[in-house]
Amino acid sequence: MPLFPSHDYSLIAVILGMPLLGAFINGIWGKRLGDAAVKVMALSAVGISFAASVTAFAALAHLTSQEHEAHVRLTWNAWEWMHTTGGAGNVVPVAVRFSIDALSGVMMLVVTGVGFLIHLYSTSYMAGDKGYARFFAYLNLFIFSMLVLILADNLALLFVGWEGVGLCSYLLIGFWYETRSNAAAGKKAFIANRIGDFGLLIAMFLLVHYTGSLDWTGIENGASSLISLSGQGRVSVWPPGGGEYTGPLHWLQPAVPLTVLPATAIGLALLLGCTGKSAQIPLYVWLPDAMAGPTPVSALIHAATMVTAGIYLVCRLSFVFVLSPFTMMAVAVVGASTALFAATIAVVQNDIKKVLAYSTISQLGFMFLGVGVGAFEAGFFHVFTHAFFKACLFLGAGSVIHAMHARIHDGEKSQDIRNMGGLRKWLPHTHWTFLAATLAIIGFPLTSGFFSKEEILYRTLVNHTVNPSSGRYPKYHFFEPPAALGMVLFGAAVLAASFTAFYMCRLYFLTFWGDFKGWTVGRPSLLARQELAAEDHDAHATDDDAHGHPAEDLSTPGYAPHESPWEMTVPLMVLAVFALAAGLLNHFGGDKHPMDHWLEPVFRAAREGAIVVAQGQTEEWAQAQEHVVTAFGVLAFAAGTALAWWMYVAKRGAPAKQLAAALPGLHKLVLDKWRIDELYDATILAGVDSVAETSAAADKYIVDGLLARVTSLLVAAAGAVLRAMQTGVVHVYGATMVVGLAAMGWFFAVPHPNATVADAGSDDYVVTAAPGLGYGYRWDADGDGTPDKVEFGPDATLKLHVEPGKTTTVRLEVRNAFGFVKGRNIQVTHSPAAISAL
Amino acid sequence: MIPVAHYVILSSILFVLGGLGFLVRRNVLVALMSIDVMLNAVNLALVAFNRSHLQASHLQAYSGQSHLGQIFAFFVIAVEAAEVAVGLAIVLSLYRLTGTVRSDEAHLLRN
Repeated sequence: MPLFPSHDYSLIAVILGMPLLGAFINGIWGKRLGDAAVKVMALSAVGISFAASVTAFAALAHLTSQEHEAHVRLTWNAWEWMHTTGGAGNVVPVAVRFSIDALSGVMMLVVTGVGFLIHLYSTSYMAGDKGYARFFAYLNLFIFSMLVLILADNLALLFVGWEGVGLCSYLLIGFWYETRSNAAAGKKAFIANRIGDFGLLIAMFLLVHYTGSLDWTGIENGASSLISLSGQGRVSVWPPGGGEYTGPLHWLQPAVPLTVLPATAIGLALLLGCTGKSAQIPLYVWLPDAMAGPTPVSALIHAATMVTAGIYLVCRLSFVFVLSPFTMMAVAVVGASTALFAATIAVVQNDIKKVLAYSTISQLGFMFLGVGVGAFEAGFFHVFTHAFFKACLFLGAGSVIHAMHARIHDGEKSQDIRNMGGLRKWLPHTHWTFLAATLAIIGFPLTSGFFSKEEILYRTLVNHTVNPSSGRYPKYHFFEPPAALGMVLFGAAVLAASFTAFYMCRLYFLTFWGDFKGWTVGRPSLLARQELAAEDHDAHATDDDAHGHPAEDLSTPGYAPHESPWEMTVPLMVLAVFALAAGLLNHFGGDKHPMDHWLEPVFRAAREGAIVVAQGQTEEWAQAQEHVVTAFGVLAFAAGTALAWWMYVAKRGAPAKQLAAALPGLHKLVLDKWRIDELYDATILAGVDSVAETSAAADKYIVDGLLARVTSLLVAAAGAVLRAMQTGVVHVYGATMVVGLAAMGWFFAVPHPNATVADAGSDDYVVTAAPGLGYGYRWDADGDGTPDKVEFGPDATLKLHVEPGKTTTVRLEVRNAFGFVKGRNIQVTHSPAAISAL
Repeated sequence: MIPVAHYVILSSILFVLGGLGFLVRRNVLVALMSIDVMLNAVNLALVAFNRSHLQASHLQAYSGQSHLGQIFAFFVIAVEAAEVAVGLAIVLSLYRLTGTVRSDEAHLLRN
């Protein structure tokens, strides 16, 4: 019996538990522990988690080879969470259950590995910040949430992690919450993600309803019910939920209800969720603003890990997505358009982090394009390589900003690439690592980005998605994407790739080449040197949050920008090595693709029958395209790079200025990010605002003005009457009490012959007399004027028969304990109307 | 054996006397005493009814006859004691505050 059997792999508890423990300790006691202890706690938490992840991954690899490349999982069942009911009335257990398979294993390694490096980087980058402990508590909590997201074995638990990373993202974007714009950026991210979460929730409900399961295996087994050829099995989109409208809205009722396949509805709802988390059109707007957070956060959450959760989810539920070629097409189109759109914005941005943010959106678009054309391995491989080179780029940017901060304390100006230049002389390590990552992202041959992007481009061109059920039901018409789609997407992707090469080289050249434009470098005068020395201490301490510093006169000479300490450069170097070499994981030794091979069991079921070679083409044609695609890819890289070189190095930026001057309108429009934020403000936000304003007005004038005022007037009037009775004389109160007591005595002394009549069915009625203290009853049911019995008895009910349309009068007499007697006549009517109502 | 009606009539007379005393007398001490007379009238009725309507106890642990009325009278006595304690404390503070124990002069709550 092994220590960790595959069906009860409790090492997962360590992987998950350590970051949670770190978050807990740093969150509760961090302030008292001091920065050194916080650092040790945070690093060891993620470090141990990483070590455990490596162990788990090795165990998984061993198990996979034993099981002959079947889709194996290491699972650990923590506890039973809840039950729900599926569409077929079956019980759906929802367990807190985690599993590691080939897909989540790779993701887990990336999160803990890159996460550890970024933690190490942050220990120096955040040094001296007054929220040091808070920062690491959030960061550890993020690692925990991300691991929950990745390792969850069902969609409900994934959603817990999904929300958890959203929360951490919000907390870390608004980490320096004292600045209003940072807090607003955090809120924006949170709200944009809420819209996506709506989609994810809807998808979850639909999955429970149609497949009767929420865990991955169950959904996969029940996936066949997601393609329903009958009318009832389809999801009614309009009218929502089906049914028929009557009443004033009946004109909205369509002649034929608009229905879609459950697979399409679920896929599109999931896609909405993924566009929110992974910053795709139309919900990408939060990611550029998210750069308000500290730079390591941008690297970890908003580049390497969290934003790839959407692609992870598509991969995870690939067998659902492939059931609907329409959804696959939507994923691919969203991805390609986002890749191109974001790349155009990145071309003109001047903020180093903004360029990287749009670059991230664009690269995420590439990943969506990859999974959308059914190349799940390629899309996921790009997630893997992107994690390294984009984390490296962001951390490099952080190192540059760190250096700029020595004299420029304004957050915006210190990140402006127009103030940089020539930094390669002073920041050699940062320069080389940044260059390596840039080469990877622009697809320099044999770097990691080259391989992953090439594969996406290739699959985009040759793949074609069809409904896997179309073979079984030849008479039924299934949606099929247009044949030209592959070419169009391929063209957009190649264009986006060349834009990528251009803007990344522009960023690199403007930052590290040319002349330094931040300040005059030279020996500072004695006076300035003293000031500088005094300032240098807290310049690093407060970092981006640099308010309160007097604006420094940058025309006086100052020390050159300096390289960052080892805690920052070592992670950069590790990431740079991976950025250059990670591509070989999939491509050493010719046709052997270890990464594809490793992931293949995960996607085997999904791909079967769904992903075919483009219409009217053969396998041979597809294989021949590989070289064509490589040529296009290299061409895109070369064109973009050469243009950037010519513009910013050979001509020192003059052509760029001429171009901007020649097309001022377009330049301004792109600089303003195509004014999408403004468009959303004018349409969606304005709509929500007007609803809010209407509600506020209703609250102000109807609720406060009318309802509240009328109520208060009533209370005031009642008060005025009652006040007159409150004489303040004790004596009067006593007298009132006596009168009340006498009234109660009277009430109890007199019998109350009350009764209720109930219909007992089949023309029978039951008359029940109300109970009371010491009551005895006698009845006169025959209507002869004298009671049926002389004695009063305990029988409080009387049963009688009344023919329809007739009325009978019965008499009830009640005697109480004092011997008082009182009677009442009760009419029992059997109305014909009651019959028709029945 | 004296019929229960006699007890009830005596109890009613005492209760009405107590009530009248509470209504007409202005001395707070006498008002308190009147309340006690009323409570004792109720006690008398409780005890008398219990004795004339003896029933088997419905408690499981006790198989004898029910003395609920008698026991209830003890509760009333305990409540009475508490009432007197609080009442006398109020009378005392009223006297300290106003120098009188007449209830029609105790109108500090007015307005």
